[in-house]
Amino acid sequence: MKKLLCLLLAVLLTGALLAGCSQGGGSSQLNLYTWEGMFPQEVLDGFTEETGIKINYVNFDTDETMLSKLETAEGGDYDVVIADDYIIETAIEEGLVEKLDLSKLANHKSINPLYQGQFYDPSDEYTVPYGSGVQTIVYDPSRVDIQITGYEDLWDESLKGSVGLIGSTRVIDGMALKVLGESYNTEDLGKIGAAGEKLLELAPNIRLIKDDNLQDDLISGEVSAAVMYTSQVTMAKIANPELEVVYPKEGIGFGVMAQFIPVKAPNKEAAYKFIDYILKPEVSAKCYEYMGYYCTNSDADSLISEEFRSFLTLPESFHKEDMEMIENISPEAVEEHMKIWNEFKAACE
Amino acid sequence: MKKRKRKGEAWTIVPLYLFTLLFVAGPIIYMVVLSFMTRAQTWGVVPEFTLKNYQDIGEPVYLKTFWESLKLGMLSTVLVTALGYPFGYFMAKLTAKWKKRTMMLLMIPFWTSSLIRLYGWIIIFRTGGVLDSLLSALHITEEPLKLLYTYPAVVVGMVYALLPFMIFSVYSSAEKLDFSLVEAARDLGASPMKAFLTVSLKLTLPGLLSGVVLTFVPSMGLFFIADILGGNKVVLVGNLIQEQLMKAHNWPFAAALSVALLVLTTVVIWLYRKLSGVKELEGLV
Repeated sequence: MKKLLCLLLAVLLTGALLAGCSQGGGSSQLNLYTWEGMFPQEVLDGFTEETGIKINYVNFDTDETMLSKLETAEGGDYDVVIADDYIIETAIEEGLVEKLDLSKLANHKSINPLYQGQFYDPSDEYTVPYGSGVQTIVYDPSRVDIQITGYEDLWDESLKGSVGLIGSTRVIDGMALKVLGESYNTEDLGKIGAAGEKLLELAPNIRLIKDDNLQDDLISGEVSAAVMYTSQVTMAKIANPELEVVYPKEGIGFGVMAQFIPVKAPNKEAAYKFIDYILKPEVSAKCYEYMGYYCTNSDADSLISEEFRSFLTLPESFHKEDMEMIENISPEAVEEHMKIWNEFKAACE
Repeated sequence: MKKRKRKGEAWTIVPLYLFTLLFVAGPIIYMVVLSFMTRAQTWGVVPEFTLKNYQDIGEPVYLKTFWESLKLGMLSTVLVTALGYPFGYFMAKLTAKWKKRTMMLLMIPFWTSSLIRLYGWIIIFRTGGVLDSLLSALHITEEPLKLLYTYPAVVVGMVYALLPFMIFSVYSSAEKLDFSLVEAARDLGASPMKAFLTVSLKLTLPGLLSGVVLTFVPSMGLFFIADILGGNKVVLVGNLIQEQLMKAHNWPFAAALSVALLVLTTVVIWLYRKLSGVKELEGLV
């Protein structure tokens, strides 16, 4: 009797397993692979309603996890992937990314040209941008005596012990490079070293360096000026609209999250439909308000509600020349960056 | 019959050996091998032998990190000992009922993740937080205090996280201590201080030593305390390893740093054992 029960259980379990497998490859399903919380539920539901295609939302924590999963699947398993620019460059080099058939993307023309033709996909053959992180300075005018217009002002003595920074090596080292008039992506070790020297002078002003929830420290008053991630800036602005967001006069650093279709995507038709659906201005606008990243869709700019527009879209005066992306650089340059970064942190006590 | 029993015993030990081999020796060998390899251009590792990772540790900025870690580790250990030793010692002298209650009180915080407990310290330390409000309400301080993201905050966090390990080690040693020996010493004319130093301290030394090991070794690697309470301004070897792994994608260098840390802690413990003359550790061996 017991044996029979075991057998029955085994059969049932195998059945369940098979059912689970067959669910993955159905033609009416889209496998979306990205970070958690990238789309409002209403947008995802809207897509299923419009096309009848169900969305299987799969998360990753870091870009690196995504790449190694995609390598293992040899560019299969997923239909649409959204990740950061630098990792996409590697994925394209490794031949994991499908060339886009633009005739299937009716809304492709809405993309803001500022975010096109960038290093990871110079002729826009593989990717469609889905939001941008733009490096700004945020400060509380009620607690800062000077008017901050650029990175250089963070060095001002009046800000002693009251600046907060994110722990992103390239962004913070890059700040000093920008003050010295250099590129984010210089591989000249001497120039990186000089930026290190410059950073040491900033050390007395630093109250803390952290990646998670830096906005809380600005809102609570632990720091009065900060350089943070775009999503944190959005949260800070929502919590306290009095905060000032500054586009540094030395130039703007930015990063792009983009969508792509892996070479062996099981359901490419669905993938095109999804990308095109997200490009619709009215859908896009909802996504940006939800995510809190900069809008990469020109036609959506005007649809973003007033309270968010000032910090989710770039002022019209911006030109491509004012902006620079942080790109992959040589291992020696990365090592030098890590070195000056650690010297800087240790000097902050 | 006897032989069979031994065979049976051996079999029960096999899982333990396998576990040790697989999850202790294995990773250490992997780490050591990795530390002699070359990093790939983007990330990942190329199996090419190099000594560069160890040479890089010699950079002043990284040597300084080791020194800082050692300093913080020792400071935390001394403070933990000063607080934990008397606590454990006197806890052993309590009645059975109170021993149980004290033990309970020490255990309960462990039911919550240590990370969450650290965030509790943020609430206490932050500007306008519990401590700040209390001090200004009592008119002890005038201006809002900057307590969070300072070196003392990190030390408090370290001591808080590691104190129980010292208390438990000393307690288990002191509980076995026969207090009639102390009484005998007193009867024979020793001063309380002398009785303590010659009898109690000597007999609880194994517990103290294992407490020191359990405090000092983790204190070198508790990078998240320096992160959360120190605002990342205190760079420890643990932070460096984590950063090299997660941000710089330089796994071989991270492995080399870990090996160096392993060697450093081993040397410090060996020195300590040599100097204190204790051969066995309470509850550790």
